[in-house]
Amino acid sequence: MFVPLSWLREFTPYEGSAQKLGDRLTMLGLELEEIVNPFANIMEIVVGHVALCEAHPDSDHLHCCKVDIGSSEMLDIVCGAPNVATGQKVAVAPVGSTLPDGTKIKKARLRGQPSTGMICSERELGLSEDHKGILVLPESCVVGQKLVDALNLDREVLDISITPNRGDCLSILGMARETATAFKLPLNVPELPLILDSQLPEIVVPLRIDDPDLCWLYSGRVITDMTVAPSPLEFRCRLQSVGIRAVSNIVDVTNYILYEVGQPLLSFDYDKLEDRQIIVRRAKAGERLVTLDGKDRELTKADLCICDANRPVGLAGVMGGANTEITPESRNVFLESAVFAPATIRKTSRRLSLISEASYRFERGMDQSRTIWAMDRACSLLASICGGKPRKGLTLLETRPFVAARIPFRPKRADAILGVETGEDFDARTLENLGCSVDRHDAASWTVNQPAWRHDLAREADLVEEVGRFYGLDSIPPVIPHTGRVPELENAAASKFRFLQRIKHWGAGLGLNEVINYSFVGHDDLDKLNLPKAGRISILNPLSSEQDVLRTALAPGLLNDLRNNLAQGAQSLKIFETANTFIEDAKSETTARETSFLGLLLYGLREEPCPAHKETDLGYADIKGLVENLLAFLQLPKPVCKLSENSAWLVPGVDILVENECVGTIGLVKQEIAEQYHARKECWLAELNLEILGRLAAGRVARFEKLQIYPPVRRDMTIIASPGIKAEEIFEKISAMKLPLLEGAILLDCFEPEGGETRNLTIRLTFRHSNRTLKDEEVDKEREKVAKSLRTSLGVEI
Amino acid sequence: MDLIRELESLAPELEKGLAQASSLESLEELRIAWLGRKGRIAAIMSGLPKLDPAERPKVGQAANRVKEECSRLLEEARKRIAGSQEKKRLERFDPSLPGRPVWQGSLHPVTLVTEEICDVFNTLGFDIVQGPEVETDYYNFEALNIPRDHPARDMQDTLYITENIVLRTHTSPVQARTMLSRKPPLAVVAPGKVYRRDSDLTHTPMFHQIEGLMVGQDITMANLRGILTAFIQAIFGKHTKARFRPSFFPFTEPSAEVDISCVICGGAGHIGNEPCRVCKTTGWVEILGSGMVDPAVFKAVGYPEDISGFAFGLGVERVAMLKYGIDDLRLFFENDARFLSQFGQYA
Repeated sequence: MFVPLSWLREFTPYEGSAQKLGDRLTMLGLELEEIVNPFANIMEIVVGHVALCEAHPDSDHLHCCKVDIGSSEMLDIVCGAPNVATGQKVAVAPVGSTLPDGTKIKKARLRGQPSTGMICSERELGLSEDHKGILVLPESCVVGQKLVDALNLDREVLDISITPNRGDCLSILGMARETATAFKLPLNVPELPLILDSQLPEIVVPLRIDDPDLCWLYSGRVITDMTVAPSPLEFRCRLQSVGIRAVSNIVDVTNYILYEVGQPLLSFDYDKLEDRQIIVRRAKAGERLVTLDGKDRELTKADLCICDANRPVGLAGVMGGANTEITPESRNVFLESAVFAPATIRKTSRRLSLISEASYRFERGMDQSRTIWAMDRACSLLASICGGKPRKGLTLLETRPFVAARIPFRPKRADAILGVETGEDFDARTLENLGCSVDRHDAASWTVNQPAWRHDLAREADLVEEVGRFYGLDSIPPVIPHTGRVPELENAAASKFRFLQRIKHWGAGLGLNEVINYSFVGHDDLDKLNLPKAGRISILNPLSSEQDVLRTALAPGLLNDLRNNLAQGAQSLKIFETANTFIEDAKSETTARETSFLGLLLYGLREEPCPAHKETDLGYADIKGLVENLLAFLQLPKPVCKLSENSAWLVPGVDILVENECVGTIGLVKQEIAEQYHARKECWLAELNLEILGRLAAGRVARFEKLQIYPPVRRDMTIIASPGIKAEEIFEKISAMKLPLLEGAILLDCFEPEGGETRNLTIRLTFRHSNRTLKDEEVDKEREKVAKSLRTSLGVEI
Repeated sequence: MDLIRELESLAPELEKGLAQASSLESLEELRIAWLGRKGRIAAIMSGLPKLDPAERPKVGQAANRVKEECSRLLEEARKRIAGSQEKKRLERFDPSLPGRPVWQGSLHPVTLVTEEICDVFNTLGFDIVQGPEVETDYYNFEALNIPRDHPARDMQDTLYITENIVLRTHTSPVQARTMLSRKPPLAVVAPGKVYRRDSDLTHTPMFHQIEGLMVGQDITMANLRGILTAFIQAIFGKHTKARFRPSFFPFTEPSAEVDISCVICGGAGHIGNEPCRVCKTTGWVEILGSGMVDPAVFKAVGYPEDISGFAFGLGVERVAMLKYGIDDLRLFFENDARFLSQFGQYA
């Protein structure tokens, strides 16, 4: 909402600065966005006097002028406008100045004649679209003065952001009311008395309201014998200062009143209204209307329309129709001022994506006590500016008169909510200043009557807010509460938030960078990985096709991160993410099942290059090592890893089983998929279900094991096996032997001799006795037991 | 007595030899040649049985003396040579060689700030709770006093799944869910992802919020100010000022936006003569929205009328931007490792 100081001052005698006003309004909840100068781009324009105007010797349409702009020498200006003449006061752009369209004025010669400046048209000044000739200023303008001073244009316009509850502040009147209350000033509404034509017969337009629940008040007047023309300059400049484009006098007046008092008005060409009558009704299915913006719109039964005898002529509260638009030929106008149900206006405006100054205000509620007043004010202006004759007779139906809410208000409750004693007199004064009537008959519970313009004041809490607002929320002393409540400590430790926090710290601690990706991706991203189409949750109104579905896996986001980083020249990437995946679930109240996952991605160099380092790439052992480490971190047993049967995009894809439950998958992204993300090396991924891991890990705590004091004895053995024998099988066989002296077995090396049909696995066995030192012979015997068992059960060579 | 003389000549001879020695290896050769089992001392001593038994102790004593003397000389020489070798090694050692790079992990700045904020509220007695990201229209709007066809819906551009299911536009639905599942008094904070249909330089379609809610018998606006002031000073420093400015949220009444004195220019509005870009010369930056819970919200969850409480919500990315001086919101979701790694040291 733009508030020019000069306009505001017509309603309340605020004499302070724009900044001070803005600061005060900000602290009342009407936030100052900025102070703008709407005429900043014509500050260099000055008033000139055309001392002499002669025809150009070499042109049939140019003029050579001598223009006095108050400097020591007259300016020579060549001007092409047909209306330039000796003796005029004009707007001059001197050499060195810049016009609103960016044109820089330079010394020039036009067909041989020198020109040191420019006499401007309204379009060149950005004041209107008028470019038929130059702007001729009133005689009273002083030569050499800045144009903005000569025309008394506002240099300081406050841009205030208005919250949705304060529709009453979407007008100069509303802002003046708030300003007056804030600075304890009177509110003086300048009245424009309406003088109805006494000679001509009365006109009352036949009116029918079919949907009284949607149209609460409809009024209108007819003004005849008008001449459509541009509005006076001052009037146009004022509209310009609040960002409204001047059109023609009749339209300008309705816009002016809308902005000044907040009541949207609609003007119809009275002669185009069929049967000269008005019906307010819902549109019939399939009915169409070309609105003033030139768009042909199909209406529905939900849209409230203003109609004449046969057809819609306007979308109630949103926009008029082209069929009854004011044109340069219009002479007689039917002016509408009405109040519509906010919700219906909003529905129509949303459905058609058509938000107008009118619909914006109707949605937020009208001051029904000023509907007719605002119309009469406009009629008065139409009479004075457009030469119209407001006719006797008021067209009016009020189907739902405004009834002020009677709100109980307990001053003690206000203090209890605000946490400060504001004082009863302060409360009463504040509410009265805002236009409420306050009945303090019952000292404990007052009765407060709502002002017609404050639809946001309907309950006690609303009044408490008003008291707090003017008391100053910033003046309430801060107090730490003592509720005596015991925080839920037990839950806290086991909460999902804490579990995820542990996982994140684990990842960062192991040297991975945590990433956060959008929860939505494109269907394309999921298709690329051959992820199932069933169960996906699509977004009804996505911003783009890259964000039209909720992710069913973390991989697409992680792979996008890989592509982004490779594009920035990265050689490797080690990242993780914890986030929800989303799958349709008819049983969920939100229709979605949200499952939190941990995603890991490893790509490229295992280590950054440094002296004495061997350049190797990250591989299966790295990603599996991370997963094993995580399970150990969560006090879970070692996983069982099996080639996955249904992984369409990981080759190999490996299922991770913990206690016979699949907790996730790790694997290598298929080359043709990885290439789409510009990966040239192996890209290893893991996705682990944190819901399952969280459940399995719940309640597990570290258990202390006694430290062994006798020395371990180690024996290595190399097993020559067929490649079909998995390492896991060997270790299972060894542990199945349950040898009491065998403490552990690890794989030292795994080697496939070239061209051979076998694989060599070197295993280190560690033996230890808990209460004595082992002898070599004993250990050799044990080792032989293992070798023999493996030979017979797996048919391997040792 | 020849033996004794012979023995005593050994030490000076060794000394001469040692003076020539420059490595520990040649030293060892000398040691073996003198003190070894087949060394010179041993060779001389092999003549001992031939001596008169009365002289043997004297020779024995002399041999021990010489052995000790030789050992001392050898040890001295060893120290000298080791010292000079160590000196040489040190001269060649390059302490400026780079260390082997360690895998440097990092937490996302959103995680860091979320944890920090939640820890502060935890300390102030708030439990941490969470809610779903896909939400019903009821919890996201209706229960929060934002009816359909109300202009307040314009405050947030919504991403819809169906007409009645949305991606939550704020963490506020957790308020209603918490109140339905718990009895007052209660105090919770709810961190999480939220979604808006908005994408430009200063908006991303997904971002993070933290919601706070405290409900009890006598919770006041003064308490809201107390808790939030404590929180702001914990996060931004004791010297930070907070300003409570009336505003509008459908689910609180009264509502207040909270501004803090600009952390970049210290509230001055200018840095030197340059206007501060963060607060746009106002000296204040908006940090969170708050207010006293609207009675309509209590009604929706069936709480008694005489209850009161406050709620607040803040944007995590915004706090992170102010805290770490990040000037581009989009960096948060591009996941450039060079960006992420900058926060490793806080992990």
